[in-house]
Amino acid sequence: MKIGLIGQPNAGKSTLFNSVAGYKSATSNLPGTTVNYTKSKVRINGDVFEIIDFPGTYSLSATNDAEAEVRNYLIESHFDLIIDVIDASQMGRSLPLTLELMELNFPLIVVLNMFDEAQRKGIEIDTGKLSEILGIPVQTTIASKNIGVKELFLTAKSLIKKQHPGKAKKILCQRDVEEVIEELEQYLNRNYTRKTDYPSRFLAIKLLEDDDYFLKIVSSGNGVKISKKVAELQKKMVKLRGKPQDSVLAMERHAIAMDIYDQVVKIGSPRRDWREKLDNIVMHKVFGYLILVSVLVAFFYIIFVLGSFVEDFLLSGFDILDAWLASQMNPSGFVFQFVKSFIWGISGGIAIVLPYLIPFLIGLTILEDIGYLPRVAYLMDAFMHRIGLHGTSIIPAVLGYGCNVPAVMATRILTSRRDKIISAVISSMIPCSARSIVIFGLVAHYLGPMWAFAIYVLNIFVIALTGKILSALMPEVSPGMVMEVPSYRLPSYTVVKKKTWFRIKEFVVVAWPILIIISRSIN
Amino acid sequence: MILKAWDKSMNFAEEKPLKSLIKIRPRKSAKIIRIAGGKNARLILGQLGIGVGSEVKVLRNAPFAGPILLENSGTSVAIGRGIAAKIIVEEI
Repeated sequence: MKIGLIGQPNAGKSTLFNSVAGYKSATSNLPGTTVNYTKSKVRINGDVFEIIDFPGTYSLSATNDAEAEVRNYLIESHFDLIIDVIDASQMGRSLPLTLELMELNFPLIVVLNMFDEAQRKGIEIDTGKLSEILGIPVQTTIASKNIGVKELFLTAKSLIKKQHPGKAKKILCQRDVEEVIEELEQYLNRNYTRKTDYPSRFLAIKLLEDDDYFLKIVSSGNGVKISKKVAELQKKMVKLRGKPQDSVLAMERHAIAMDIYDQVVKIGSPRRDWREKLDNIVMHKVFGYLILVSVLVAFFYIIFVLGSFVEDFLLSGFDILDAWLASQMNPSGFVFQFVKSFIWGISGGIAIVLPYLIPFLIGLTILEDIGYLPRVAYLMDAFMHRIGLHGTSIIPAVLGYGCNVPAVMATRILTSRRDKIISAVISSMIPCSARSIVIFGLVAHYLGPMWAFAIYVLNIFVIALTGKILSALMPEVSPGMVMEVPSYRLPSYTVVKKKTWFRIKEFVVVAWPILIIISRSIN
Repeated sequence: MILKAWDKSMNFAEEKPLKSLIKIRPRKSAKIIRIAGGKNARLILGQLGIGVGSEVKVLRNAPFAGPILLENSGTSVAIGRGIAAKIIVEEI
């Protein structure tokens, strides 16, 4: 049974995936964490499911290559079932994607995830009614606490085995626009003879939306005739609605979504807590920057203090072990040298690397999961413009402090190719955790923490200069920032633990053995 | 003084003037009339449910000509000044 998890960015697809598959897919509280598909076979109640976690996508109208990739893979790989993961507290905004998925005629389940968050905001959802309107099963989950996940897969199974009457209803647009869609659909049925994976209504909608990808497919098949008809109907639609053809249907879906939202949601009084008030300070024009600087200074300072304390403690332990071995064996003998270098390799990992790496990764995970990074992007937008980028580019850069590989991959959240290239170059110049260890372990250890900090400051200057040079070489104007700012979330203990381990594992299984072998051969 | 007040009330009676989104002060709402940006900008905004006819609330303006934070049907969205300048709205 092949199941695809799809949904908008930051809806919790990966959290849901991880709660059944173990920690395999990176999660965080920022849009666009998942950059490639993660697959896993899982066994739930004795049934084996093959689950594919998709990168988040706002809609099936691709605005960049990554989204086009998601759409094509989704349509062409014939899933037994699609699970549409929705952030329950953002249901109105999420339903347009559901409406698009319904056009694809796959078996579909809607999952309202983060149901507790919606309740906290005072949003009460009548799931029965939603299911009735859409004609497909609706389930609720709190994936981070593993609530409702088992029930979800039981429904999934019964849907795949056709024990469940889940057939998506045809949800129509307003009459005038609907007539245009139908006209094109019928026209395609008559004139577009090529075999295609796409349902004709879906194809008609995408063509009317002026989607370059589908326009190209169709015109390469049947030539000018269809393109002409599409252009004619697009004009008709523009006249009907007074909007550009590419936004008529998207706004139509949005209107339908809001209509459904109004029917199934009752908004009570939200429990106001620290989250709403926090942004008044965190995004404040003065305090915001003070907080940003303090967070960064505190972040590195705590890692240094904690790390060096543990390092000294552990190193003295290894020194005692060394001395003890020297007293037991002939200090100039081969056996002693062999054992000693082996211990150095191990102590290097345990005493010098891990004391800094572990607090560093935990800190970074907490910053990510709370949802602080989009706020940093907001605050830094104006400064990033100075080097020819915009605020969103800071997110891959900050992730680079953990590891440069996911940082480069995270540039997918940027919209233009030029921004992606510049950000990818910049992100690779950020001192990653392994390089930070050298800075902490050597520079801070021998010269003092201020020198270590100075290296980071120097690094920022080098990066700013590089950015400036690159953007002068590529003078194209980038469209600017459009970024969702998610609400704060308390990071869950288990997720932080698993994610830190997920990242440390790479050091332990790859870098550490190399360290041991090298220290052995140098000796 | 009286003239000014009269002038103001006349303006109010007429159709409200269109302005760019960056001219809207925080905590005020506005209805989007036109998006003068390219197709891609419209698509990206449309994915977040922001399009012609949407009513949005400006939450805050970042300093140093930074982005604008909007609220649109319960979601906060940060929009860079370049794009925001091309969004033509009517204050409500």
